[in-house]
Amino acid sequence: MRRPTIRSLAGGAAGIAAVICGGIALTSGSAGNPASAPAAALIDAGHLPPVLTLPGEPVTLRYAIVCAPREDGRPCDGSGEVYLRSGRSGPFQRLALRRGDESAEGRYYVDVPVEVASSPDGFSYYAVLRDDSTGAEITVPSGGTAAPQRSFRLRNPIGIELGPHSFGHTRSPDAKVVDAPWGSALGRVGLAGSRELGFTGPSAFDVADDGTVTLLDQVNGRLERWSHGRASATSVEVGPGLADLDVEADGTANVLEPPDRVTPVPTLRRFDRAGKLKWAQRLSDRTWSKLAEGPAGPVVLQEPSEQWLPLALNGAPLDRPSQAIRAKTGHARRPDGEVVVERLGTGELRLAELAADRVHRAWRIRSSTPLGEVQLAEALGDRLVVVTKAYTDTESEYVVLVLGPSGVRQQLVLAATEWAEGAPLARFRLAGASLYQLGSTPAGAFVVRFDLEVPQ
Amino acid sequence: MRTFLVALGIGFVLIAATGAQAYHRFWARCNYDPPTFTTSMTRDAGQDYANAARYEGYQWGGGCWNYDDVDSYPFDPPGDPTTHGEGGDCSGLTFKTWRESTDEWRDGRWFWFAMRNVHGPYTAARFKRGDGAPNHVIAKSSAGVMDAFASDSHIGMVFFRSLYGGDQIVEAKCESCGTNIFYRTYRGDPNYGGVARWGWTG
Repeated sequence: MRRPTIRSLAGGAAGIAAVICGGIALTSGSAGNPASAPAAALIDAGHLPPVLTLPGEPVTLRYAIVCAPREDGRPCDGSGEVYLRSGRSGPFQRLALRRGDESAEGRYYVDVPVEVASSPDGFSYYAVLRDDSTGAEITVPSGGTAAPQRSFRLRNPIGIELGPHSFGHTRSPDAKVVDAPWGSALGRVGLAGSRELGFTGPSAFDVADDGTVTLLDQVNGRLERWSHGRASATSVEVGPGLADLDVEADGTANVLEPPDRVTPVPTLRRFDRAGKLKWAQRLSDRTWSKLAEGPAGPVVLQEPSEQWLPLALNGAPLDRPSQAIRAKTGHARRPDGEVVVERLGTGELRLAELAADRVHRAWRIRSSTPLGEVQLAEALGDRLVVVTKAYTDTESEYVVLVLGPSGVRQQLVLAATEWAEGAPLARFRLAGASLYQLGSTPAGAFVVRFDLEVPQ
Repeated sequence: MRTFLVALGIGFVLIAATGAQAYHRFWARCNYDPPTFTTSMTRDAGQDYANAARYEGYQWGGGCWNYDDVDSYPFDPPGDPTTHGEGGDCSGLTFKTWRESTDEWRDGRWFWFAMRNVHGPYTAARFKRGDGAPNHVIAKSSAGVMDAFASDSHIGMVFFRSLYGGDQIVEAKCESCGTNIFYRTYRGDPNYGGVARWGWTG
């Protein structure tokens, strides 16, 4: 080893000095001067819209106004107005929100005037909410006057009493169409996490009309297609989060990703059949609950708007304002019909099918056992297929109802076999007259099929 | 000149190696001030507090964040409390939002500033059991704003209920998730139980 020269010592010192300076600069940029107070413009909201009301039912609109936290620990000084009208056209009436003593369901509220609440065509409304200390504002739903929230009046909903749920009497599937052990080889699906942090498996799936199943195997960064028991895979650049999936007839795949550590906003990524990214589009709202096929492309149920917003039109992405002004209260796979869902209270579920923007028929389902989320509500011929969950503090099972004009035409109870976590409302898909369910066990993930008694 | 450049490169390598240590120093900027006792504690103030922690990252065993809307250290290895990155973990975020004391027998309301580094004594599993004077178990069907759902490995607070029966949950779920509001179906998941804080004043 040669003795170090002054030249080499100078070089090493220069390298060290350069990186130290660079490190200091980087540190200063990231955490060196942390913002000790949240941005003054911070404002968010919560609102549970009464989208399906009964005649004579008093209606109160409640809002949470969420601002930057105050140093004295008190809630923010909020205010706001609701713009309300009967039906879906005409001028809006401005009503100031009142501030209540309780915030459990939203501190700010307004009672809907009886003449508006009882309008045969329902009513439409939006709110402008404000932090009075900063002037920051938010409009809910985000489309405001262009796409206000709708509330429909149910004249004669078909009443269905489920009574207490009897656990342990689940139906066996008609077929297991995917049985994939955990792993990374073709035909397997990825498992991430640990016993301490919890496990995630394939977060979503979709089923084509011919029965081909596509699993979003985000742990392995791929879509895995299963047809007649054989698997093929397409690589896609997706994150590890619990994303939802919608696959179109030509193989285009829409992947709806949650926010993560480097992209703090939810994003829809659209891939061609070969897995090449076509485009990515940020959602209008901060949170999503479900991705579905709409009449002109993917639509997403978003919060706090609590509306279905389209993400694309004729294959092209819609920017955030363009999503917001096209929002709908219900989900429609076709242009001529929407399905509106409201899970309210502990065990009530209201459903309505719209035709020409009016309630065509409706159901009011009540259960003595608490009902959880609605996984699926889709028209199938002249029926409506609904999948919800009955639960207690220690048990849960899915309840499938096939609804017709006279009530329940078929009822199934399915096991909730969900060892690994997936996307929240992506456990079921309807294809043809069959219902498909994604589940998992300590051994792997599976998709099972249940054939429904529905005339085609 | 060649010698100079080689030595310059070696200098870079040496500093990069020690930089890995310097990387985990977010906690060095946090403080250990005493909390502020408050007489009121409303659910919407809890929403304000938890919502402001969004985007600030996740740190296993952590409880310290600023308000720059960026996770300063987003790629720490998961499950390692020694990395000292930014953000709370699920139970740390809940503990601070619920204004709890580090003394489990105290049920008063203690406001912790964001940069105060405190996790509190409870894991998700302990919250699930309702451990500690301020906490108790509730029926999941009754859980409302700023109540929580806890499993043996995770806890998230209800930000607001939602139309399809799930909940918007504010939570620090994992290193790659960061802290944010996600739609979840914990309410109907038997792995999760309902838990709440005593003492809300509005």
